[in-house]
Amino acid sequence: MNELGLLSNGVNPVLLIVVPLALAFAVPLIGFISKKIIKYIPVLAFLFNLIIAILLIPKVLHQPIIVKIGGFQPPFGINLYVGTVGILFSTLIALAGFLVSIYALNYIKEGPKEKYHILYLLLLTGATGVVLTGDIFNLFVFFEILCISSYALVAYFGNRAGIESSIKYLIQGSVGSSLLLIGIGLLYGQFGTLNMADIANQIQSASSPSIFVPMVLMITGLGVEAAIFPLNAWLPDAHSSAPSSISAILSGIAIEVGLYAVIRVLFTIFGASNFLMFFVFLGVLTLLIGEMSAFSQKNIKRMLAYSSIGQIGLIVFAVSLNTQYGVSAGLFQMISHTLGKGLLFLAAGYMIYRTASMDISSFEGIGKKMPYTSLAFTIGTFSLIGLPPFIGFPSKFMIIKAALAKEGILFTVLVGLVLLGTVIEGAYFFRVVQVIYFKKGNGNQERKEAPITGLIPMFIFALLIIFIGIYPNFIIKILNSAASELLNKIDYIRSVLG
Amino acid sequence: MRKIIGIILLIIICWGIILALYKIPFGIPKTKVGEYYIDKGREETGAANVVTSVVLNYRGFDTLGEVTVLFIAAIGLGAALATLKKKEKRKIEPSSLILRTGCRFLFPLILLFGAYIFIHGHLTPGGGFQGGAIIASAFILVYLGCRGRRISEVSSKTTESLGGLIFVIIGLVGLAVGGHYFLSNFLPKGELNTLFSAGIIPIIYIAIGFKVGSELAGVIDNLMEES
Amino acid sequence: MDFLSNNIYYIGAFGLIFIGLFIILVKHNLIKVIIGISILETGVNLFLIAVGYISKGTAPIFSRPGLNAKNMVDPVPQALVLTAIVIGVAVLALALSLAIRLYKHYGTLDLRKIKEQRW
Repeated sequence: MNELGLLSNGVNPVLLIVVPLALAFAVPLIGFISKKIIKYIPVLAFLFNLIIAILLIPKVLHQPIIVKIGGFQPPFGINLYVGTVGILFSTLIALAGFLVSIYALNYIKEGPKEKYHILYLLLLTGATGVVLTGDIFNLFVFFEILCISSYALVAYFGNRAGIESSIKYLIQGSVGSSLLLIGIGLLYGQFGTLNMADIANQIQSASSPSIFVPMVLMITGLGVEAAIFPLNAWLPDAHSSAPSSISAILSGIAIEVGLYAVIRVLFTIFGASNFLMFFVFLGVLTLLIGEMSAFSQKNIKRMLAYSSIGQIGLIVFAVSLNTQYGVSAGLFQMISHTLGKGLLFLAAGYMIYRTASMDISSFEGIGKKMPYTSLAFTIGTFSLIGLPPFIGFPSKFMIIKAALAKEGILFTVLVGLVLLGTVIEGAYFFRVVQVIYFKKGNGNQERKEAPITGLIPMFIFALLIIFIGIYPNFIIKILNSAASELLNKIDYIRSVLG
Repeated sequence: MRKIIGIILLIIICWGIILALYKIPFGIPKTKVGEYYIDKGREETGAANVVTSVVLNYRGFDTLGEVTVLFIAAIGLGAALATLKKKEKRKIEPSSLILRTGCRFLFPLILLFGAYIFIHGHLTPGGGFQGGAIIASAFILVYLGCRGRRISEVSSKTTESLGGLIFVIIGLVGLAVGGHYFLSNFLPKGELNTLFSAGIIPIIYIAIGFKVGSELAGVIDNLMEES
Repeated sequence: MDFLSNNIYYIGAFGLIFIGLFIILVKHNLIKVIIGISILETGVNLFLIAVGYISKGTAPIFSRPGLNAKNMVDPVPQALVLTAIVIGVAVLALALSLAIRLYKHYGTLDLRKIKEQRW
């Protein structure tokens, strides 16, 4: 007998979800002992998750792990499907969660801090659950954990803008999740099961109305969180009025997880390759609308939020090309966006804190006052625009290459539009960089840098951006394996149902 | 204008759903997973109430998520209302003797009924969430009847976290001893239809009952302070 | 008439869903919108229960020996609805607390007058 069941056959991936959850439940109890140590709990939890996720990567690349909760055979019990995509995303979530929780040590000074840390832990627990689960109703539950804790966190400061955008987000989000639930109900009524692999096994084609309607309902419901074009009215408000550490998570993790859910439902459950042309257009539309709205913004956080919409459009475009290369390019762009946008929001957070204004024009001369933060901000913008040697360059390059590999004049036109989007992106980001470095600020020029707990996560983000930008082959293998997992529905079904 | 667009949108959705519903005629016999639970549920989990065995054993992970959602709501509500709290003493008109005595008389009875519902969750209709809601209703009665009485924040917070922690820890113990599966039912199943049966199910339901009761009471307490 | 009696639960459930969606789309008062969300969720829950129903079925509880398992309704939708109800309560509580905050800030709940944020 193995007395340490936790360590039998390596580490059980369910710990990635359970440990942060248990710590979140324990926070109020720990708070009775000492209020000071609460803020270190998220740091510990996500350091643990990061280590476990990295340890699991080689094993998962070899073969996906199926975790049966309660020991019941799928489709009768809930199972976790820890494939390459799942482990890739949970590593990303743990990494961003770890770095942003270091940032929050000094950044979160006001308000009910204990509650902030609980909600933060639960937000990322929900995200990890969504990417790992293999059961469609379980996906809904974790999705709700993710959404409800982000509604609460957007309203954290309790100012006018925060409350108002939180309400907007809540109304749209709860309509979306009701639609998702109707879709799940329709699927259950037809197939009598909630296991994703079992449903996928029984769906032959997505064209008949009895399959098409639940698909549309589910994509609409998940698309609210993923911020695909007509469903993203909440995003700029919510991202700009949340605390900056939360904006980084919402922008870097929450939208990506929403997109993951859309992709998983579309590719694995419905196998809907004949509807993907629609998403190609939707992606380009989202990209252009996002970038154009970002161009006309004067508020730095709103600009970054609209830029997120643009990036989401780019990812949707790449993934719906439906080729191996295109899907891995899309996933690469997701990683690039998480790192880049996370860095930008963190840097912007302290720039806003020091100047006490979100207006871009108030950043004049801040390059002298906060040299390190400004440098980090600049690296983030260059990476998002797609300049070498940063991570944005190989990912955007891959997307363009994947799109050009498709035959036809149509894709050439679309690539032209994508490049136009990148040019607009370059224009507004260069404008900010120019304000930071080349405009003389009025008043005192004394240096007042961000505290060290703010600088460390920014520089780890920046180092990762440069490192992967120079050695993209480092993760290309993982991305290829992830892309084939998403495209190969048969293997998914076989590995779950046996 | 907005109304017309809304109606058109709804008619489109309505038409689509009617098309999809043709495949799901009403009142048909059970589907495959449901049939399995009814046939095998008693042996595999030991609970006479099949719904409970689905909620806490087959789909126990969902329930853990559900408990978490309620926890988030309680915490988020506290966070949203936190900065507003001004501890001003409002003058409260004392309630009449009959009302006060009635509340005091009913309060323990309602608590007992709630506890009965969640302890017998694996035998009769009911369970932790329903029992917890009944317990919270006892606290509403006290708030409305014996005005000025409040639950202590410390004890409600402790109950909340302990309830959640017990659920997770039982799951982890299952991972360690019960065949290495999270939330596996590692305790003896006992005899069907008796109080001490169904392994971990009654323990988890008791934890959930306490947790839901204190959480809902806390939510009501927070909202009452604002109004 | 036969159609009506065969599908009465579906009709009721989707009636509630449409009423809820219509309220959310058309009304401007925040409390009414929250009520709309609540009605929508109730409709979805009723729909889920209706999916699992069997004509003349009983609750899936073996409370005494000799019950016919053939007549029992599907237990899975009931478990799902339990989860969905709790999630609905959570969203409702959070929405109401935000509404209280919003009212303290603006002194009104009319969504047309609350326009700090713009596109």
